[in-house]
Amino acid sequence: MEPLLKIIDLHATVEGKKILNGINLEIYPGEIHAIMGPNGSGKSTLASVLAGKPGYEVTGGQVYFMGKNLLELKPEERAREGLFLAFQHPVEIPGVTLVNFLKTAVEEIYKHRGLEPPSAAQFLRLLREKKEMLEFDMKIENRSVNEGFSGGEKKKNEMLQLAVLDPKLAILDEIDSGLDVDALREVANGVNKIKNENNAFLLITHYQRLLNYVVPDKVHILYKGQIIMSGDKNLALEVEERGYDWIKNNETV
Amino acid sequence: MPTLTKNKYLTKQELIEILQNNGEPLASKNIQELAEQAISQHDIPHSKMEEWRKTSLKKLLEHTFRYGKKIDLERHVIERFNISGMYSNLLVFVNGYFVPSLSRLLDSSDIVVFSNMAEARSMFPQVFDKYYNRTEAHKVNLFAALNTRYAADGAFVLIKDNVKVKNPVHIYFFSDGEDQKIISQTRNLIIAGAGSKASVLLSYHPLSTDYMYNNSVTEIFVEHDAYMDFNIFQGEGYDSFHTNLVNVEVERGGQFYSHTISLCGEIMRNDLRVRFNGPEAYAELNGLAMPDHDQVHDNTLFVHHKSGGSISRQFYRNIVDNNARAVFYGKVLIDKGAKKSEAYQLNNNILLTTTAKVHSKPHLIIYNDDVAASHGSTTGQIDREALFYMQARGISEKKARTLLLQAFANEVLNKIQIDTYKFYVKTLIRKRLQGEKVEMLCAKLGQCRFEPDYE
Ligand SMILES: Nc1ncnc2c1ncn2[C@@H]1O[C@H](COP(=O)(O)OP(=O)(O)OP(=O)(O)O)[C@@H](O)[C@H]1O
Ligand SMILES: [Mg+2]
Repeated sequence: MEPLLKIIDLHATVEGKKILNGINLEIYPGEIHAIMGPNGSGKSTLASVLAGKPGYEVTGGQVYFMGKNLLELKPEERAREGLFLAFQHPVEIPGVTLVNFLKTAVEEIYKHRGLEPPSAAQFLRLLREKKEMLEFDMKIENRSVNEGFSGGEKKKNEMLQLAVLDPKLAILDEIDSGLDVDALREVANGVNKIKNENNAFLLITHYQRLLNYVVPDKVHILYKGQIIMSGDKNLALEVEERGYDWIKNNETV
Repeated sequence: MPTLTKNKYLTKQELIEILQNNGEPLASKNIQELAEQAISQHDIPHSKMEEWRKTSLKKLLEHTFRYGKKIDLERHVIERFNISGMYSNLLVFVNGYFVPSLSRLLDSSDIVVFSNMAEARSMFPQVFDKYYNRTEAHKVNLFAALNTRYAADGAFVLIKDNVKVKNPVHIYFFSDGEDQKIISQTRNLIIAGAGSKASVLLSYHPLSTDYMYNNSVTEIFVEHDAYMDFNIFQGEGYDSFHTNLVNVEVERGGQFYSHTISLCGEIMRNDLRVRFNGPEAYAELNGLAMPDHDQVHDNTLFVHHKSGGSISRQFYRNIVDNNARAVFYGKVLIDKGAKKSEAYQLNNNILLTTTAKVHSKPHLIIYNDDVAASHGSTTGQIDREALFYMQARGISEKKARTLLLQAFANEVLNKIQIDTYKFYVKTLIRKRLQGEKVEMLCAKLGQCRFEPDYE
């Protein structure tokens, strides 16, 4: 089987500063991966590079997404191919309603996939179905994207967009931070419902508690821009208990 | 006929010679004399004058404009400027001349008098004499003085006391002249009787020439407890010029709303001056300008709180492309006796290129302590983070930019009160931002030049 995502020796800099120093990672359809690591280790940078954020310069390595050279694609092309990034800090977009925003996104993605874009009514039905599936009862569709949303609402909004856009690979950057216990469960249940054998998730997190609900197939520890250890779900438990020091020390062995 | 052989720019005398050939003036002998004195005192505005520091008129003074012909247009010629779904009382002017055959009155003439100025002067001499130039337009600048002295026609709207006018009043100003440089000089008078309510739209369009120069003055009287929703749509051709003065007086409890939309034109200079004569008056001045290429769009506002308990709000936004320039100069003066006044000013700007410029100067002058006031001004680029967020959802960069700029514009446009017109403007702006042809803004179909020059 082909990997969905294949990262080979990826190096990247931001403003001349080396942040990613040789990342190797393969994610196959049907898998859930988790990336953990201390603050500033490069987790969000990896997500940004994969999503194509301007300002991040790839200085070495390759990334293939479903066999295609991901790094050649514009951010919007990556999204249309089926890559989704749930942002650690979702941006507020004053004056653009969530409905308008998401409908535009759906239209572009459907067009790319050769599908007839949904009518306004069909789109609203799709949005309602996904909200029901996620058991979100917030009324945000006619508000400006993320504007004045609470921290939790912003994270749920990312999940809702994920559900509507139905990507192949979803990267969730700290989707669990700032969520109360109920919201955390809702979001985790959402991941479990959306997950199937054709798609995959990459969860960036600091805490084991998300992984109680969403069981990862693999857990990676990112440190100074490299994956210095990989393991199964038990690695996350160990990190929770012991912190990162023992791994950092291990690194030099 | 002055020519420009010796000097590159028109002199004041040459300007006067051009503007005086306007036919029988509206002004009484007395006002003509006052205006003439003012003309002799005013200079052509230049950069040493406080309110003209950032807007040079050199480009205007390079051209020799002439008055256009009096033309009886057929209705189909102006059909492309129809605002879909907007059913309005219509007054149509071409080259400054009134075209009765294209005008129509929907609402009863018992409640609203709706006509051209030349006729109003003979039909309602008392009203005319009471209001004409009561705001002393000739004192504002040379152009307004010339208008006061020489203007021969314009729109006259008189809304009787306590009348709520159902349909908007739409006044069209076209320039027609087969690529010639056409000047129109119009003088409008709008009187909202006590307790009345109405929406008025003045719109300016090119018919067969992109070179049009409008020198217009509009006086508006909002009598006590009246409600006036006033709109200006500047959709003039590409190489057009407009020196535009709107002088407003608001009496006790009166409410004045204005929406000034400038989408095109080489130099668009709008002076909007509001005076609160009575207490508890309200004025809300909104505007959007989108200069492109080397254009300059200048909104210079002056609100004078002469009376207490009054509220004024200024909310202007500019989207500036290419080498263009936007000017916002918003002055508010609150007199000593005008206690419990409130004044708010907000100006937001987006520069689309590194060579675009904006000059923003909110300016509050307050002579008593019992006042609530604030002013703010922001200038920036398109929000890159928001752009990327949208791209990360599959939306193309161009589309994302359009959505963001539309959203920015909409905060002003959403204040427009005539729904059909609001929709019309939003559609035009969307097209312009997408770089589509916007034929309503061009004299020659198929010759529209709008390309966003994003960097
Ligand atoms: N745009 C930028 N400009 C300058 N430095 C940056 C930029 N983006 C990231 N960095 C730096 O790169 C390093 C990695 O940041 P990154 O956000 O990837 O860390 P992280 O692992 O996601 O941390 P956290 O757990 O705190 O979210 C940090 O030192 C950060 O300051
Ligand atoms: Mg991070």
